[in-house]
Amino acid sequence: MRCDALEPLIEAIADGTHDVSAADRAHLSSCAVCSARIEEARRIEQWLSSRDVPMPPASFTASVMARIGEEKWKTERAVDISFNLAIAAAVIIIITGAAGAAWSLGFFTVAIDGEALLRAAVAQVEGRVISQVQSVVIAAVVLTMALVAWWWAEAATD
Amino acid sequence: MKLTSEHELVERCRQGDETAFRELVDQYKNMVFGLIGRSVPNRSRAEELAQDVFLKVHRGLPYFRGESKLSTWIYRIVINALSQERPELAARSIDDVDDADDRPQHQPAADDRAFGDLLLRDRLQKAIERLPIQYQVLINGHYMKGMRYEELATALDLPMGTVKTHLHRAKRQLRRLLETEFR
Repeated sequence: MRCDALEPLIEAIADGTHDVSAADRAHLSSCAVCSARIEEARRIEQWLSSRDVPMPPASFTASVMARIGEEKWKTERAVDISFNLAIAAAVIIIITGAAGAAWSLGFFTVAIDGEALLRAAVAQVEGRVISQVQSVVIAAVVLTMALVAWWWAEAATD
Repeated sequence: MKLTSEHELVERCRQGDETAFRELVDQYKNMVFGLIGRSVPNRSRAEELAQDVFLKVHRGLPYFRGESKLSTWIYRIVINALSQERPELAARSIDDVDDADDRPQHQPAADDRAFGDLLLRDRLQKAIERLPIQYQVLINGHYMKGMRYEELATALDLPMGTVKTHLHRAKRQLRRLLETEFR
């Protein structure tokens, strides 16, 4: 047997999963290189088996739970901010829409001539108010999204 | 851990039961920290990585279908965490390691054997850190009490029949590194 043939078996011989044949034994008794390799492999094997396993600190679980809590808090905060922004956007759109509708209806002149304004409002309601419906719809959608986000955040918290 | 109790634990975690997740961390922290700590010598970095693994487990639990064992899934996350930590070692697949490459180019020097145990430990640790991540996990996991062969093989995507071969190849690479670069 040559060194090349024994080389792939050295680790298996060292960890005892390969039975040393008579041919192996004969080669090992006469080859200093292979004997040294087996000796080295056995030392490695012994060291690997006796190596200490690093243990986590006693506070490990608490640290993990704290990080999870922090992550959860960040998510909730992001949802809260989104919700508040959506509400603010909805309010702005509603106010703008209402102002637009009031302007279309001529409410800005109500202090001057209420009766004329009312007449004008009735006359124009079918025409100009419809153009403001878009703003109202957008506001309603944003408001609905805000409420859904709020509901989702509450459900996630529970 | 029995499958039923594992399934129950996962279900409780999914329902947001913090006590259940605490249980899960307690159950797997030694394995996770042991595997990571053996590859990452900096203890505080190892702790950070081990915590990251459990954060990923927490985030991923809603999507965990139970097709593999929980432990196998966790070991996969560990392997990914180690691969991201040492991308240069992760890029080298163990399938690329050719047997011819493993052939020692130097004969072990006689004075190698004169090195003290402490020195050998130091050299071995450095050599292990140079192995491809899959080999590191294989060697570190194999010599750890409680680690199951089949779980390790599944996590590493290795057919059961080849685990022993890969383990021997990993150790051969280790020996070769000691004979050449860590003399």
